[in-house]
Amino acid sequence: MVRFENVGMRYGAGPEVLRDVTFVLEAGSFTFLTGASGAGKTTLLKLMYLGEPPTRGLINLFGFDLATTRRSEFPSLRRRIGVVFQDFRLLDHLTAFENVALPLRLAGGHPEDYEKDVDELLGWVGLGDKLDARPATLSGGEQQRVAIARAVVARPDLLIADEPTGNVDAEIGQRLIRLFGELNRLGTTVLIATHDRALIERNRAREMRLIDGRLVELRAGRP
Amino acid sequence: MSGASIGKTGGRISPREAGAAPLDVVIGIMAFLAALALGASLLADRAADGWREGLAGRLTIQVLPPEHGAIAARLAAETEGALSVLKSTDGIVTVTPLSEQDTQALVAPWIGGGAVIADLPLPKLIDATISPGTKVDLATLAARLKAAAPDSILDDHTRWIGRLKVLADGIVWAAYFILALIAVATTATVAFATRAGLQAHHDIVALLHQMGAHAGFIARNFEWHYFISALAAATAGALCAAILFSAAGGLELAGIEPVPFLPPLALHFTELAWLAAIPAAAAAIAWATARLSVLAAVSRIY
Repeated sequence: MVRFENVGMRYGAGPEVLRDVTFVLEAGSFTFLTGASGAGKTTLLKLMYLGEPPTRGLINLFGFDLATTRRSEFPSLRRRIGVVFQDFRLLDHLTAFENVALPLRLAGGHPEDYEKDVDELLGWVGLGDKLDARPATLSGGEQQRVAIARAVVARPDLLIADEPTGNVDAEIGQRLIRLFGELNRLGTTVLIATHDRALIERNRAREMRLIDGRLVELRAGRP
Repeated sequence: MSGASIGKTGGRISPREAGAAPLDVVIGIMAFLAALALGASLLADRAADGWREGLAGRLTIQVLPPEHGAIAARLAAETEGALSVLKSTDGIVTVTPLSEQDTQALVAPWIGGGAVIADLPLPKLIDATISPGTKVDLATLAARLKAAAPDSILDDHTRWIGRLKVLADGIVWAAYFILALIAVATTATVAFATRAGLQAHHDIVALLHQMGAHAGFIARNFEWHYFISALAAATAGALCAAILFSAAGGLELAGIEPVPFLPPLALHFTELAWLAAIPAAAAAIAWATARLSVLAAVSRIY
């Protein structure tokens, strides 16, 4: 599903943020990515969701070597990835419903086909009564849940989440992880970057840790 | 930034601006100025045509008083001779000798009237018009006139028409030049306004791109917004100019001359229709700029 080989990344003439990162995410796997602030977690996720090209090394996504894949193929690869951004990146002028429906709309879906699914999903994340609310009127936690619903609504092949439970209480956090788990059981490969040790211990999934830009395998996966 | 968006029925993804943005006001003003310049060039063109037509096809024959002999009798005889030559020439439709009073009235502004003029030996003037579309051999006519009236001079106004043509063409080209300058400024303004608007929405462009939207899809969501905005703003500007020209026409109809010494300022209906080209052009520029700007912005993102 995802393969990184000796990937290095630096911004401009700065120091390398990632060094010789090598790992594989098998299809249908569930992985936590941990590391201290500034260790390179967000950069690694960015490379994975095609937000930046690596400075060196090989990235293979869904069987496509990104170095040799035509740029015109990237949109279709990006549509197979759901991303929960740390800063949510919701569109302020759209309602919660419209934000969540966006990936389905980009995939060519019609409102009558996806209206029920979007309503249900927003209900599942506890925002059934805020379908028409705009992001500015939602709390940080509510915005995060809208961002998560948007990332999972199209049942992506790969789900990448950057601190997805950072702004919600433990109960909602566990509920969201269950949503990711459900999606994972349906075949989605999940990678979650988090600081939340309790969350990791409860779910006992594979854990990779970034230390000063280098990747260390801490735990191989579910027992 | 607010307003309707895709809703549950689908629709636009780009934000709808609330109220008239300052840049829309700028587009409206530039369209107003462009419409004024276009209207002025159309008026100058029409006025120049009028001047040319006014003198074309007209001939003036002067029969100068002879220097010796029975001046009055010879002048009358030569005038009769010239009149019969003109009347017998094919293509000349009217021949009108000016009366003594008319001739005196023509020179009165320069040398005064009354007894002074009465004693002056003034030439006899004959006004002739040529049937439109007919060619008269002026060299042959001049020779025949010389034979019948040796003291006659044929003036076909070629010199004046040539000078007026140069003047009229100069005015028309000056109007076109000003129009071209305003068109370039309007184009730059519309393009700048569109780019500035898009700059403010770069986060939306980047997010849609990140979510796998094709560049064409993103561009479509913005280009029509800018097309409609520019069309509305430029229509308002061109409409103001059209109202101004119509108001000038109304004043002229009421017998009031809004600008003395200039030709009538009212535009004909067909000329007013030309002003519609300005909003159409502004909208097309905004559409193309928005599309190219979005495509360029997307191509710069990985």
